[in-house]
Amino acid sequence: MTNTNYGTIFKNGIFGENPVFRLALSLCPAVAVTSGVKNGFLMGVAVLFVMTMVNATVSLIRNFINPKVRIPSYMFIIATWVTVTDQVMAATQRAVYKDMGLYIMLIVAFAIVLSRAEMFASRNKLLPSIVDGASMGLGFLLALVLLGIFREFLGKGSLWGHQILVVDGKAVKPLLIMILPTGGFFAMGFMMGFLNWIDRKFFGGTGSGGGAH
Amino acid sequence: MKDMLKITLSLVVIFIAAGLIMGVTYKYTSPVRFAAEKKEKEEALKEMAPDATDPIKPAGKWTNHSKPYEYYAATSSGRPVAYIASTAGKGYSSYIQMLVSLDIDLKIKDIKVLHHAETPGLGDQVEDRALFLDQFKGKGLSQLVLVKSETKENIQAISGATISSRAVTNGVKDAVQTLVDKYGAGLRTAAREVTK
Repeated sequence: MTNTNYGTIFKNGIFGENPVFRLALSLCPAVAVTSGVKNGFLMGVAVLFVMTMVNATVSLIRNFINPKVRIPSYMFIIATWVTVTDQVMAATQRAVYKDMGLYIMLIVAFAIVLSRAEMFASRNKLLPSIVDGASMGLGFLLALVLLGIFREFLGKGSLWGHQILVVDGKAVKPLLIMILPTGGFFAMGFMMGFLNWIDRKFFGGTGSGGGAH
Repeated sequence: MKDMLKITLSLVVIFIAAGLIMGVTYKYTSPVRFAAEKKEKEEALKEMAPDATDPIKPAGKWTNHSKPYEYYAATSSGRPVAYIASTAGKGYSSYIQMLVSLDIDLKIKDIKVLHHAETPGLGDQVEDRALFLDQFKGKGLSQLVLVKSETKENIQAISGATISSRAVTNGVKDAVQTLVDKYGAGLRTAAREVTK
């Protein structure tokens, strides 16, 4: 890549190759944490940070990493940044950590982080890698927030913990199933289908394929 | 052979560097973290017995679901005002961790759910004070029975969350039993002396 186009990388991360809706990577956490907008947002922020740092580190030492052992090296870099994030959050953000603590350690096994290190950071210079990590992280964050809004609103009638649907002073919970894991799959399917439909109808795309946890 | 050495060296350098980074972070964050955790625990205990003026210290340990829990005697200038025990009940998808406090008549004063991972929207309703937890207040050991119909005497289960409701009831019951075994004797003697 001689002429680095940051705009393209950015758009790619958020729309073109959105980690959840287009690449269909890291669907496990995307279903697990999006029973509420807040959880989805916090998880997204943690992933955004880890991905940016991992991409930066991998890009910086890409010439030092022996290609034959690149995967263990990437895993270790990811594990290091996740551990650092976990420890710093546990010490400084107690309230957030109470909700998030369980999920942070899971980031180590997120396919999307490893895949960006392998597909992008190991072949590109520092700055494009940082932009790619941040855009992919942001794309992931947006996807989780969208799923969270969809599920929390339908499942609990609330957004970010605030009750919105109220009839006669009582909270209305229209579709309880949406906040259960089953509903997560429904929401994911509907969203992905909807985005693919838009892509085909208006942009002449072919829709997404693939998938991994 | 030369290749093998190079690979090993490259991995070892990365591992050592990563280990150093994690170690340094741990060194600086862990004291802050432990202090915060200790403070949170003290605050939770304080909330369970607001009228205790002395610092609440563990009075002993007990075991539930093969895990260690503690109990505390909260005192105000040396006189007991409340008994507290940490406990847990086995719920649908997690152990529901709780603190239970009893007044000196060994009736339930307050319950606080510390941690759980029950189903959002169903099992997590056991945290709801108005819906569920408030009905424990003032109840004694023999009344801690979960029923599915409307009740004033016992504990009414949340519809759709019977397993989580049972977990809380059983966890609380175990804690109350422990505290009654520990402090109930003194109470009975005292009562007998008065009636004499």
